[in-house]
Amino acid sequence: MATRGIDYANLSLKDALDLAILIEDEAQERYEEFAVQMDQHRTPEAAKFFRYMVENEAKHGRELSARRVARFGSAPSAVSRTMIYDIEAPDYDAARAFMSARKAMEAALASEVKAHAFFVSALPTLQDAEVRALFEELRDEELEHQQLVQAELYKLRPESGLSDDDFVDEPAAQ
Amino acid sequence: MSATGTLDFQPKDYKSDLKPIWCPGCGDFSVVQGIYRALAAIGRPPHEIAFVSGIGCSSRIPGYTTAYGFNSVHGRALPIAQGIKLANPDLLVLAAGGDGDGFSIGGGHIAHLIRRNMDITYIVMDNQIYGLTKGQLSPTSQKGRTTCTSRYGSLEEPVNPLLYVLAYGAGFVAQASPTDLVGMAAVIEEAIRYPGFAFVNIQSPCVTYGEEAQQIKGLKAIQESLASLGHNPADRLAAMDLAQQYGEKMHLGVFYRNPEPPPTYGDLVKERQALLSKDALPRERILDLFIKK
Amino acid sequence: MRKDLVFGMAGSGGDGIVSAGDSLIQAAAAEGYHGVMTKSFGSQIRGGESSCRVRISIDPILNPGGNLDVAVALNWEDFLKFGAELPVSGTTVVIYEAATGIKETEIPLVGVTPLQVIAVPIAAMAKETAGTERAKNTVVLGLIAGWFGIGAVAVMKGIRKRLAKKGEELVEANQRAFDAGRAFAMAHPLKASMNIVSSDTKGNVKLITDGNDMCAAAAIFAGCQFFGGYPITPSTEIMQFFTDHVWKYGGAVLQAEDEIAGIGAAVGASFAGMKSMTATSGPGLSLKSEMMGLASIAELPLVIVDVQRGGPSTGLPTKSEQSDLFAAAFSAHGDVIRPVLAPTSVADTFRITIEAFNIAEYYQTPVIVLSDQEISQRKETLDPIDTTQFKIIERVRPTGADLQDYKRFKQTENHISPISHPGMLGGTYLASGIEHVESGAPTNSGTVHARMNDKRTKKFDPLKDRKDLFEVSGNPDAPIAMVAWGSVAGVCREALLMAQEQGINVKLLVPYLLYPVAEGVYNEFFASVQKGLIIEQTHLAQTHKLLRMHLDLPKGVKPMARSGANPFLPSEIVAALHNLLSELQRSHEGNLQPQE
Ligand SMILES: Cc1ncc(C[n+]2csc(CCOP(=O)(O)OP(=O)(O)O)c2C)c(N)n1
Ligand code: SF4
Ligand SMILES: [Mg+2]
Repeated sequence: MATRGIDYANLSLKDALDLAILIEDEAQERYEEFAVQMDQHRTPEAAKFFRYMVENEAKHGRELSARRVARFGSAPSAVSRTMIYDIEAPDYDAARAFMSARKAMEAALASEVKAHAFFVSALPTLQDAEVRALFEELRDEELEHQQLVQAELYKLRPESGLSDDDFVDEPAAQ
Repeated sequence: MSATGTLDFQPKDYKSDLKPIWCPGCGDFSVVQGIYRALAAIGRPPHEIAFVSGIGCSSRIPGYTTAYGFNSVHGRALPIAQGIKLANPDLLVLAAGGDGDGFSIGGGHIAHLIRRNMDITYIVMDNQIYGLTKGQLSPTSQKGRTTCTSRYGSLEEPVNPLLYVLAYGAGFVAQASPTDLVGMAAVIEEAIRYPGFAFVNIQSPCVTYGEEAQQIKGLKAIQESLASLGHNPADRLAAMDLAQQYGEKMHLGVFYRNPEPPPTYGDLVKERQALLSKDALPRERILDLFIKK
Repeated sequence: MRKDLVFGMAGSGGDGIVSAGDSLIQAAAAEGYHGVMTKSFGSQIRGGESSCRVRISIDPILNPGGNLDVAVALNWEDFLKFGAELPVSGTTVVIYEAATGIKETEIPLVGVTPLQVIAVPIAAMAKETAGTERAKNTVVLGLIAGWFGIGAVAVMKGIRKRLAKKGEELVEANQRAFDAGRAFAMAHPLKASMNIVSSDTKGNVKLITDGNDMCAAAAIFAGCQFFGGYPITPSTEIMQFFTDHVWKYGGAVLQAEDEIAGIGAAVGASFAGMKSMTATSGPGLSLKSEMMGLASIAELPLVIVDVQRGGPSTGLPTKSEQSDLFAAAFSAHGDVIRPVLAPTSVADTFRITIEAFNIAEYYQTPVIVLSDQEISQRKETLDPIDTTQFKIIERVRPTGADLQDYKRFKQTENHISPISHPGMLGGTYLASGIEHVESGAPTNSGTVHARMNDKRTKKFDPLKDRKDLFEVSGNPDAPIAMVAWGSVAGVCREALLMAQEQGINVKLLVPYLLYPVAEGVYNEFFASVQKGLIIEQTHLAQTHKLLRMHLDLPKGVKPMARSGANPFLPSEIVAALHNLLSELQRSHEGNLQPQE
């Protein structure tokens, strides 16, 4: 999780909204990448779950975009994707060959926790009251997301405790 | 400098339709993203980019871009890349591959491209293992590491890729990792912009054969940004000092950037061509050279 | 009841179909059957398509078999990617995953109507019984036990042994999945029973191994103490075996920085007096050629194993081909002979590797063992081999008298000069790639060069009389013939038996020594032949060309050649032999007609 060149003390509401949108975009893209990786490796259940996350992130992104446009129209943005990395997107190595749906959900849950921690840690540095309110809202939404994923997790049957690696084939050399 | 473009490109313009066949979670997924971003920032159209690799999991990378790709043979990305550059110095030439491809079988070539200051950016995806052939020792594997070709532990010290290229006098040396994609894209961009041989070592975890400490969590634990250390990239000796810690610390950012880049081999070739072109006989009269005066 | 069954199974790497194959062949061995298993993969490290073919028989097995008797598809997309590697015919029982949603009447196999098609809810049964779909492979093993009578007890015994360390829970989960598969089979009997007859050699010890491990074990048996190499599929396991074992014999192994360094170290070790070897595949062989030339002129013993894969260049890294023949015979420049040997099975890889060392040491020469992906990675059950039957040959060392006035490259009657090595008092000499006189001192004399070339090539003459490096089977006077080597030889051995049963008068020559070409052996073989096939997995018909270069083949002998990854089936070879037979009959009739 990293940001770069963001002056939190002077962050405007417009830029804060844009930042939030970028964070959702990034997560959405990563989940999309993971879903494709799972397709490639015939792991449909995990792929399905990652697509579900793509939808979630996209939906949230659309809501934020609508707010941004309503309030600030197309005014240019002072933040860009190069300023953030892995805020809500899972780490690159969170995907694993043949991961079960449960493992996929746990990976998503971990990144929601990570996003929550980001907003929590950014809060004390914010000056603008409106920005602060937005970040608080975003922080709480991350909690909601966590619950969402947790709910999906509960829906699963308890896992057998067996490791998938005990069944799958060894990797193939080239 | 040939690197700067004028058109407006997005990272996705550099992404091809081929779906990577890397294992899910492989660090190389992040590297290709870093490259898309760096190329978009540079803004050269894909057809003016030549992207050469050797053989290995990582060497599949040119196929995942829209550049002219060349997935060549094991260890020989650099010789081929330099031929491309000499044939057409206006191209943006990238070379990439694994630690084995670069520092084992291809290790002999690096020194010579550096000596010639070939204007090529060389990206090594250093996962300290041979991925494609199923997990043998690589030249950057830690001493004592057990793999399928070192059941009782390896007996040899690893190569230090950073010191290796610094010692030969590379003009640009940086390190990146998937723990910071933004930083990775930035150093790749800077490497491409550097006029001369530029080397980027990327700690790219192999999730299938890598050790726990080399996964993202482990890397995060030992990462340190060179900028935050106040390192001055113009200071080659300081860079070498820091590079000594390869394997213990993962420094991210630019180790060394020659503040006064010498002319590239391509520049010198152009100069010589300009100088000598006036002496050229018309091609159809080339045999006149053998007329005894 | 069947005496022989060929299974072909495919899925993605996550389906564990190859480890199911492993369990199956092990169980079969435990129950006294003979077994052969080959594997084939797509180009992903993990989770790409993977398949295996397991043949089980009460008789010794000559090859991995032709058309499948039983096809198992965990999904069709993966299965179909293997094309000719998993051929389904009208006598195949097809078992597939019901969750694919494809009706039994609509399976995507064009142009064939299998004997029977059965959709089985494999994944569902796995989930139900083991709690994870990943146990599909164990369900498949249960189905096989139920329908074909293989491994009812032995499969689980094997799994239990393999997983014991991982805990009872895992074993139990597998047991439930296995039982479910078996129960399903019992409840849905095949239209015509395909149970395999029980073997009467149950309980006999059987070895199970693959060509690469066999090759490495043979090398260590032959006294090889040094391996220098570089990883490359499909040969890496030879180096792995060395890294696991050679230290125990006081030897060493070096994973070098590349193939050149690997063979270089092996050349050095040989110079130092040690039996040494390297192993590689096509791209590596290309790199090693300069050092091979050096070893030839410096007359240093060395074994080079080339496990062939599809070429040129990276080609098809995981598929079998025989297209390195020219490279093996001719790589490296100059006038030189380097013997090339080829095993035809896992079992004879042992003997051929020992031969390679014997020839290398006796003739002081690099020897190439031309294996191929299929042999190197296929698993075979073997009866124990009596290792005392093999003679080990050592290089001829100088005697005390020789060392009085030592000449390393001394002209001798058989052109073989006693070889010293560093550490031997009185034996010092200069080894070199430059032409040299008898003492080893450099020369650029044309006369010496011609004489030395003569020495270095004539020394191999006796090799061409080694009839034991050739196998002739069938009727020695047959007018129809086949020649095949490497993994293709096994297919031809089976084709020979089938053709003979069908009344074709045919014979088969299998050369283990490919180069130098033993003209005498071939001429003798071809004396009775009017029609014939040189059967090989190369696009350019390299074997046919190599033979024509050295001898006049009968006019009717033609290549039957094709690119790698498209295995030959015994049945198609028999069909080709039928064609030859009718051509022969027609030409006979033609001869009886008065000529215009
Ligand atoms: C001449 C030659 N030797 C060996 C090989 C086999 N080979 C392919 S990739 C590879 C090493 C892969 O390791 P690395 O370069 O670190 O790449 P990674 O797969 O880890 O990304 C080897 C030994 C080959 N293709 N060609
Ligand atoms: S084997 Fe390792 S390096 Fe190769 S694709 Fe898989 S994770 Fe990446
Ligand atoms: Mg590597």
